Amino acid sequence: MIPAALAIARVKFVLELRRREVIFAMLLFIAATIVIVHFALSGDTGAGSRAAAGMLWAAVVFTAVLGLLRTFAAEQEEGALDALLLAPIDRAAIWIGAALAQFGFLVVVEIVAVPVWWVLFFQAGGPSIGTVVVALLLANIGIALVGTLAAALALGARTRDVLLPVLVLPLVIPIVLAGVTATYGAFGEEVGGLRPLGFLALYDLVFVVLAWGTSEHLLGD
Amino acid sequence: MEPPVVTLTECSKRFGDRLALRKATLTVAPGETIVLLGPNGAGKSTLLRLVAGLLRPTAGSAQIAGVDATSAPRSLRAGIAYAGHRSQLYRGLTARENLELHAGLHGQRDLDITALLNQVGLGDRADEYIDGFSRGMLQRLALARATAHQPALLLLDEPASGLDADGRLLLDATLRAGLGTRTQLVASHDHELPERLGARAVHLNAGSLA
Repeated sequence: MIPAALAIARVKFVLELRRREVIFAMLLFIAATIVIVHFALSGDTGAGSRAAAGMLWAAVVFTAVLGLLRTFAAEQEEGALDALLLAPIDRAAIWIGAALAQFGFLVVVEIVAVPVWWVLFFQAGGPSIGTVVVALLLANIGIALVGTLAAALALGARTRDVLLPVLVLPLVIPIVLAGVTATYGAFGEEVGGLRPLGFLALYDLVFVVLAWGTSEHLLGD
Repeated sequence: MEPPVVTLTECSKRFGDRLALRKATLTVAPGETIVLLGPNGAGKSTLLRLVAGLLRPTAGSAQIAGVDATSAPRSLRAGIAYAGHRSQLYRGLTARENLELHAGLHGQRDLDITALLNQVGLGDRADEYIDGFSRGMLQRLALARATAHQPALLLLDEPASGLDADGRLLLDATLRAGLGTRTQLVASHDHELPERLGARAVHLNAGSLA
């Protein structure tokens, strides 16, 4: 199953490199959000820094939704999903391949956005970057897993562009809460530490099992 | 007598208020070729997608080798090929890359893709993105994709649409090569095709088998 999932993820990366449809839009969105909030907070380094820490998570989630809207777009153009469904592979490989691609897109976006966020808000000291990075990586896994599952659910719907955010956003609220808690904890002022990171890891695990078990049915008729 | 490869029993499919297929019963023997004839909207594509397991019947059953088509195991899916109205290819990839992906998913590491592309007349366009391909070229490539893994059951939905004269000869030759050895279901508007192939013709009209 893993080779098939990697092959599908690879195709999605190749298509993105050639078309630049997803990552460019995601980058533009997250950069605009960070800059707007920076001006809205007027460089406040007190409570404003903590608000900025929380803002990062909201920006990441909404940026991710933008990418998730295109999850199976390439497969729908010429009906390639039919060929994948009929291939002698575990159908979970289709979902894992798509989730891997979404995870990769989010990482690429964050590699650009997080340094900008840091420079704009935390010149005078911010949260522990190590904790933030680990929290973001765990959150990316959860968002990619849940988002791809929701994208598969919304696949047949005419109103999938509306349906997808409606399905995804409630499911990722726990990720945002844990991410924000981890980031606040990383300022070194509050108790939190590993607990929110552990919660994010558990959330990822639960959705791996859930999606694995349901992907056969979700990706069919 | 060998058990049928395809068995539709009182199989119906409804899309919203529209009944696309009405209590279709059909058996297809191993190695048999059937040409599905009927006007647009008769239910030919729905029937093929039900057999492929890409649609779930609203009522009745669609089976392949005695197994419910929608839950066909990987071993069974390995022997099925379906080419529908769309090419089922990735538009942002080249012809070669599309076939490489297909071969990889079917475990055919040694597939000679250049030879396959030459066979369908696309050898000189192998490394072009299929974005720029005409409808006929996409159909040729879809035919190459569908037959690359030597399927035991080949399902083709109006495969001649968009093909030029050479393309139609290629299609006929492909279908002839499968006569007696491969089970083939072909939806077509070509009423002479059954006679040309010596195949059974099955007529569909308004979702009902005649």
